[in-house]
Amino acid sequence: MNFLRQFIALLAMSLAGVPQRLGSVLTVIIGVACAVGVLVSMLAMGTGARNQEQANVRADGVVLSSVGSRPFSSTVPREEAAVIRDMPGIRRGSDGEPIVAFESFVGMEGRRRVTGTRVFFPLLGISESVLQYRPEMHFTSGRMFQRGLRELIASNTCVRQFSGFGIGERRSLPGGDWTIVGHFDQGVGEQCTVYADVDIVMSTFARNAYSIVSVLLRSPSDYDAFRAAVRANPTLHLEAKHETEVVQDAFKQLNGLLDFVSYFVGTIMAIGATLGAVNSLYSIVDARRRELATLRAIGFGSGAIVASILCESVLLALPGALVGAGLAWALFNGLSVSPFGYSFQLEVTRSLALTGVVWALAMGLFGGLLPALRAARVPVTTALRAT
Amino acid sequence: MRFLPLIWSGIRRMPGRTILMFLQISVAFALFGVLQGLKSGVEHLVAAARADLLIVHTRANFIFSPLPLGLLEPIRSVPGVKMVVPVELSGGTYQKPDQQVGIVAVSPEGDWLSAFTFTVAPEYDAALRNTRTGALVPEELAKKYGWKIGDHIPLMTRTTQLNGSTTWEFDVVGTFDDSDIGGGRDKILSNFSYYNEARQVGKNTVNHFNVAVSDPKLAVSVADEIDRRFANSSNETKSESLRELAQLQLQSIGDLNFLIRAIVGAVLVALLFATSTMMMQSIRERTAELAVLKTLGFTDRTVFLLILAEAAVVCVAAAALGLVLALLAFPFAGRFVPGISMPAVVIEIGLASAVFVALVSAGVPAILAARLRVAEALASR
Repeated sequence: MNFLRQFIALLAMSLAGVPQRLGSVLTVIIGVACAVGVLVSMLAMGTGARNQEQANVRADGVVLSSVGSRPFSSTVPREEAAVIRDMPGIRRGSDGEPIVAFESFVGMEGRRRVTGTRVFFPLLGISESVLQYRPEMHFTSGRMFQRGLRELIASNTCVRQFSGFGIGERRSLPGGDWTIVGHFDQGVGEQCTVYADVDIVMSTFARNAYSIVSVLLRSPSDYDAFRAAVRANPTLHLEAKHETEVVQDAFKQLNGLLDFVSYFVGTIMAIGATLGAVNSLYSIVDARRRELATLRAIGFGSGAIVASILCESVLLALPGALVGAGLAWALFNGLSVSPFGYSFQLEVTRSLALTGVVWALAMGLFGGLLPALRAARVPVTTALRAT
Repeated sequence: MRFLPLIWSGIRRMPGRTILMFLQISVAFALFGVLQGLKSGVEHLVAAARADLLIVHTRANFIFSPLPLGLLEPIRSVPGVKMVVPVELSGGTYQKPDQQVGIVAVSPEGDWLSAFTFTVAPEYDAALRNTRTGALVPEELAKKYGWKIGDHIPLMTRTTQLNGSTTWEFDVVGTFDDSDIGGGRDKILSNFSYYNEARQVGKNTVNHFNVAVSDPKLAVSVADEIDRRFANSSNETKSESLRELAQLQLQSIGDLNFLIRAIVGAVLVALLFATSTMMMQSIRERTAELAVLKTLGFTDRTVFLLILAEAAVVCVAAAALGLVLALLAFPFAGRFVPGISMPAVVIEIGLASAVFVALVSAGVPAILAARLRVAEALASR
């Protein structure tokens, strides 16, 4: 009880002295704010990228690709693809046909609207069943491509980001000009997606195998049975994976990079901010040597002094964290970036802000430790004699 | 020179505080070094890419769409063109589906190497020319899969041969090294004649032509001339130098430049604030000492310079340590960008920034110290 009363009295005294030590106090706050701000904005990239990637992923979606390959190197021969349609557990569309989408990727080049720089993205040759596989996809203008014609449809993101995607515009591609005939929205997803009829894409590029096959199950619980059936079929050299898993694999490298950069930079900044906090708190403690010695002379315990300094340090770090997270939110939330050809928006979420606050608390605690110990160890006589 | 002991004693006055500040500045500059190093390193790579080597590919905006081999002669006849080599790209896997190997088929004739970024020993070059199914492999790849010269390697591909097989066999006849950053590491060099004759479809087409230009200064006009010759034909071309392509490839990191600048800015702001508070406090505590110095005959200017020098010594030394740390940490952070190294200019920018931080943070305290009135300062004690 006595400890608590002493602690509260000491803390009140420390906080009352804040205006006189504005320089040191602001150093702690600004240091922590910068560290937390940077950490939160960097992590916001990772969060934004992840949410973007998983935006249109369905729990009942399954992707089949050749064993052990990544989507861009996978090959699914036509004969094998035909077998898939008769597998168990596949949902049937309104026309009674199983919902199976055959896809074939080709690299394609675009020019960014503002800067005119070139970017590469995949053109997806796909069967018409994509409309059933992705019910969130709806046309905002134009129409679906027609089978057997050299027609392209593009998501509205493409229209916004790149030039040459207006309806009726022609793109010079192998086999002559391909016409853009429709624009569509794809729910929450923000990636630029261009579709064309899979058969015409494959004949243009002299291919006889699909890249991947996507299947919609009746329910997510049918996954195990479906997977087992694919494995048990000796004519199939394919493996079935949850769509989530495939997407995660595809973006593993990007996510790894973003995470590494975030924590690498965040840690270094946190170390810097902690060192700054130590220095400032030392000078606060030094400035209060006489005060602290007097308090100890009249019976305040060292435990209460250590606790009060630690608490002060944490209390100084907290507003820093709030300022940092707030700045990150104000400056970067919703900002679109497109590093490495992916585009996504930064998302400063509540859990990220919380991460920032936790880091700030750690900075405050570590930063306050040594100065608190010094404050408690001031020899009473010397400190009182000092000027 | 005679002021050195004074500066040193100023630094040593509060050793704990100086060490903490020193560390803080080091950490800040370590981060600065790594980030700025990545940014400048990328720019450096682009500048180092060859401008005299053109890649002529189709204008149709698809990757991997073919050009007819017949374009070889018209390109060769363009003035300024030194060497033209047809290049066909395809890919396969070795043993396992995830062990991908690119297959680069070239015509190793004449001075073909002048149109590539490859280094090949003369005996391996000769071996490739003389062995139809020969292949050169990068040293690392040979080590990775345990390939030796004379080995027979089968690659599973998507390209069907005349005999119906999609497995292509190559004989390892030597090794090569590639100084280009863009092409990827896991690839082999093979003979175009073998590849072209053995495949079922796509005969006499190539992915692109590599063109060496006699004078780097002519590169742009040669590229324009080649594209002009094929304009309005069924095979419109686009010629770009390796440097332009490197620019394009590394541009994707471009958006990160903004972020790097923001972080470096935040670091400097936090650092400036911390150092100026510390210097301010240090001067406040030393009022009496400074007054004594002035009493002894030190001019205002000398005191001003003393304080600045003190800050500059600490900042520059700490920044130097931080930049050394950055150099050590750089390979670790730079592994995401193949071939990158930290350019010396980063060190220069870093040290200049350190001086800037010192001058800004010590400026006001130094002015206060210079304006100090002896009588007042001593009287307040």
